[in-house]
Amino acid sequence: MTTIRRFCCNDLLRFASVNLDHLTETFNMSFYMTYLARWPDYFHVAEGPGSRVMGYIMGKVEGQGESWHGHVTAVSVAPEYRRQQLAKKLMNLLEEISDKIDKAYFVDLFVRASNTPAIKMYEKLGYVIYRRVLRYYSGEEDGLDMRKALSRDVEKKSIIPLKRPITPDELECMVDRFGWCNHSSYQLVTSCVFYLFLSLLILVLLRYNISL
Amino acid sequence: MASKFGLAGGIPERRVRPVWDAIDSRQFKNALKLSTALLAKFPNSPYALALKALILERMGKPDEALSVCLSAKELLYKNDSILMDDLTLSTLQIAFQRLDHLDLATSCYEYACGKFPTNLELMMGLFNCYVREYSFVKQQQTAIKMYKLVGEERFLLWAVCSIQLQVFCGNGGEKLLLLAEGLLKKHVASHSLHEPEALIVYLSVLEQQAKYGDALEILSGKLGSLLMIEVDRLRIQGRLLARAGDYTAAASIFQKILELSPDDWECFLHYLGCLLEDDSSWVNGVLNDPIAPPKFLDCKLSHLPDEMFDSRISDASAFMQKLQADTSDNTIRCPYLANLEVERRKHLYGKGDDDKLMEALMQYFFRFGHLACFTTDVEVFVEILTPDKKTEFLEKLMKSSESPSPVPAKALGQSITLLKVQQLISKMYKLSESELEGSACQMVETYCKNLPLSKDLDPQESMYGEELLSMVCNVLVQLFWRTRHIGYFVEAIMVLEFGLTIRRYVSQYKILLLHLYSHMGALSLAYERYKSLDVKNILMETVSHHILPQMLVSPLWVDLNNLLKDYLKFMDDHFRESADLTFLAYRHRNYSKVIEFVQFKERLQHSNQYLMARVEAPILQLKQNADNIEEEECVLESLKYGIHFIELSNEIGSKSLTFNEDLPSRPWWTPTSEKNYLLGPFEGISYYPREDMTKDREANIRRVIERKSLLPRMVYLSIQSASALLKENIKVNGSVSGPKISSDLKFLLERYAKLLGFSFSNAIEVVVGVSGGQKPSSTIASDLIDWLNFAVFLNAWNLSSHEIAQPDGNGHGHRPGAWHIVDSLLEMYVLEKVRSMDPQICSPCVDLPILVQLVTEPLAWHVLVLQSSVRSSLPSGKKKKKGGSDQPNTPLSHAIRDSIQSVCGTVEHVTKWLREQINRPEDENLETILSFLHKKGQNEGGPGQVFKILETSVSSINETQLGERISQAVKAWSPVDVARKIVTGKCTVASKFLKICESKLKSLHAMKQQIAQV
Repeated sequence: MTTIRRFCCNDLLRFASVNLDHLTETFNMSFYMTYLARWPDYFHVAEGPGSRVMGYIMGKVEGQGESWHGHVTAVSVAPEYRRQQLAKKLMNLLEEISDKIDKAYFVDLFVRASNTPAIKMYEKLGYVIYRRVLRYYSGEEDGLDMRKALSRDVEKKSIIPLKRPITPDELECMVDRFGWCNHSSYQLVTSCVFYLFLSLLILVLLRYNISL
Repeated sequence: MASKFGLAGGIPERRVRPVWDAIDSRQFKNALKLSTALLAKFPNSPYALALKALILERMGKPDEALSVCLSAKELLYKNDSILMDDLTLSTLQIAFQRLDHLDLATSCYEYACGKFPTNLELMMGLFNCYVREYSFVKQQQTAIKMYKLVGEERFLLWAVCSIQLQVFCGNGGEKLLLLAEGLLKKHVASHSLHEPEALIVYLSVLEQQAKYGDALEILSGKLGSLLMIEVDRLRIQGRLLARAGDYTAAASIFQKILELSPDDWECFLHYLGCLLEDDSSWVNGVLNDPIAPPKFLDCKLSHLPDEMFDSRISDASAFMQKLQADTSDNTIRCPYLANLEVERRKHLYGKGDDDKLMEALMQYFFRFGHLACFTTDVEVFVEILTPDKKTEFLEKLMKSSESPSPVPAKALGQSITLLKVQQLISKMYKLSESELEGSACQMVETYCKNLPLSKDLDPQESMYGEELLSMVCNVLVQLFWRTRHIGYFVEAIMVLEFGLTIRRYVSQYKILLLHLYSHMGALSLAYERYKSLDVKNILMETVSHHILPQMLVSPLWVDLNNLLKDYLKFMDDHFRESADLTFLAYRHRNYSKVIEFVQFKERLQHSNQYLMARVEAPILQLKQNADNIEEEECVLESLKYGIHFIELSNEIGSKSLTFNEDLPSRPWWTPTSEKNYLLGPFEGISYYPREDMTKDREANIRRVIERKSLLPRMVYLSIQSASALLKENIKVNGSVSGPKISSDLKFLLERYAKLLGFSFSNAIEVVVGVSGGQKPSSTIASDLIDWLNFAVFLNAWNLSSHEIAQPDGNGHGHRPGAWHIVDSLLEMYVLEKVRSMDPQICSPCVDLPILVQLVTEPLAWHVLVLQSSVRSSLPSGKKKKKGGSDQPNTPLSHAIRDSIQSVCGTVEHVTKWLREQINRPEDENLETILSFLHKKGQNEGGPGQVFKILETSVSSINETQLGERISQAVKAWSPVDVARKIVTGKCTVASKFLKICESKLKSLHAMKQQIAQV
């Protein structure tokens, strides 16, 4: 029983049951609101009867040329609503928006290398491990970059796995280098200053004289 | 701009880059050096100055930074030839903003725009300034200017959003919307619209004016194709039709949505509502709180003629049948739950049929009974059944469980559902004690028996049957409430700790434990559990209600300080950055988010918890420093002598408060932080349904904030009053003189009395009466702390006022009677609380928080008054030597001496009791706790049965069945360790409290010595 609609600020006050799960990160406000301000079509919530929050997905679209892709930043379901394929429905929605509206080449996501249940689920949804990112999570755990090709990538070039693992520094961050493009926890830890002080971020924009 | 040709603010970029590099790498010293060098080269560059100011601010030198900023501003204004580019201004703006001088940044931009009225970039900067200031009118004017300049759609939409903000968040009248509509209409006629968000805003402007027809026309026209997600477009269309009253058309649109997404429950409710021509969810002004929507959806059905109702209902049923038949996805619940909703509407119409409803419930159970959400799904429908039918339903379920699903996980799910429905229907309180015990045992058994199912799960994944242990806890606490047998309570703790040993991530267990430990007085342990929930960012607003209220009345000051500090920092950071994020939404043309962001910020600013924390944080500071009057005075100075809080107290009455707490996660016995059923006698309440208490809470919290925010000022004035006593008419802090202090304090006392529900003179009568024994001590028991505060401040006021009539009639010069009132009240209530404390180690510590408050609030403020009196009566410093005429005022000195003596005695009672608690041998404590769990006789009821099942299952684990991980975890479980933790937790709280008391005693002893020298 899933009403899937755009996520709005008030949902931040209602998603505690989802976020108290230890694997679900609760980001700071500018993080969520940046996603809402920039990619509102990539941030959806699923509601059950009584308007209970069942789960949500947040993501974005970014990259240039053939790297133009949808990205899943977080997807999480409350314990009460698990084992009902809700994550799948949410993922499908994001894929559809990336595919049909934004005409992206692929969708990607990062997952802890140790999170076997999640990896299995993504594989079931058609994602393949594209590459391993060394010490991506807080400089400790490796991350896996998983991808699924969309209809625009006819030859499925975007998902041919890389042979060697890469380091977080090698991750191309295609929108800009100032933290908008979040590579999930890695960026969160290493450059949280950007999120903490939004004005600093604008400083950086100023510095490179990116016009508003 | 100049900078695009290698110039930044008029300076070649290669010269600026090193400064930025240094800032980026946070080498501010180096950055400062480089920027000074840059300034030497370009002494008249406002940009170079702005850079320097930024660096200084980052180095924590705000004053210097501000003065550099002001020089830059002056340069900008003075010299017309100076380049005035956006880079310079925005750098300056950031510096000003960080220095809390947004207004100055705005005026720079205003000046620049005045000089270069066609520079779009500057105007955008100015718009941004107004966004930061929430000046919606000026935003609108600036956006219109930009729109006129370049005719771009986005600037028009900026203006329209600014208009909407005036209407929703400012004082703009709804007529303004007509202006917005006009602007849009004109633009659409000449340029059409190109962004989906622009269309959404256009539609919302029309909808807000109830011009549904116009909106529908636009939506179905060419512009409608801007909305590419079909379901989204249909949802808007359906809503507009419904609001326009065209229910037939609306119903068919919602029907279309359901065909596209058959699991959309909200849409189904709209569909059914429209079919039955029910306008209750569409009428303006019936907006429910978006955070806590009501469980029971209101419906209006009586206007429909009988036949029409029947035919519409059968249409709906037929459509649901079709949806059921069409879908192969067996996770889709909506078309099945829809049958229940149809039955509910029939019931509301007066055509209810319990048998049919029950049949629908059974069907739903057969299909989805194994899901964890089954019970919450059907809760509202079960409520409709008559008690007899409920029982019948339960019986049917039980019967069906005799042939469980062949899939073990499903069978487990079904049996859990059965237990949940049992709790839902039979209302725990109606069951006998032995029935309750039986049910708890059954749940634990089921849990243990099914552990092997989770054998191969990843430790991160939720295990099968996890919720059983939460349910056991609920039953055991109910048993405790009913029998007052602490054994059940300890058992509940053991069960949950057992669950956490097996999988340490279950947040539901942690929350329950947190409340159990709090109730037991092992607050440090509760806090540990809270911390393990990793509550941060916005969760602090929604989750910290679990712990914050208990912490506020505890002696765990360091932890409390962290809680308050983190929370306030989070909120204040958000308020600071929220405007930047709003501007980001403007920039990315997501206009609907603009309004959402501003409204959200307002919602958080009105958060009851936030306002409370803002008052509690300074009060905590005052408590922490109350043993040293000089330090306390520093704190008071930093609080501007409490003046701002008086303002808050004045305003709070007219403020609407928001409640953002996630209350459904609270345990049944404490549905809100103000309520704890366990404190009262058993009264037949269990956890369904929860009442909505927001209205009561709002009034109550307003009162508390109003009262509490008077405290800092009253403490300040009391100290002043006591010191003015012997130095009559000495100017204090250059402004407040003796008589002024007295009248100010009297004014606040009158207010305080009024907030307690009494006139000033009646309130005096009450404290005099209670302290003298003419009135029973229970008279003031409900607002005890406030009453004692009143008595303390009254005495302080009395020292300098010379107004009050002698209460006890024995007229000494300075009315020791008022001292006596305070002393005896403190003694009376502290002793009462100490005596009432149960000596048992694991009994709930109900009175401890009150005792802590007595010592750390009224008693602490009184000690401050004493310190102030003693200080001013001491022959101190030069003044004394010069004047030398102050004679110790004998009756007053006596009164002070007596009071010190009395307060000392009172505190010593507390320390004696605390030491007894702390020094009790641990073994004895452990034994006491564990003894509750071991039953004496074989066949008696009582606590211990559930625990026994756990013990048995631990001793008989089968490693091959359970797998290594779970077996190891089960083996690691140690009830003795849990008991030890409880003991340590309670002792930690006692020790912290003891420390506070000892510090007070130290201060009192020092005073004794000082006054002996006078």
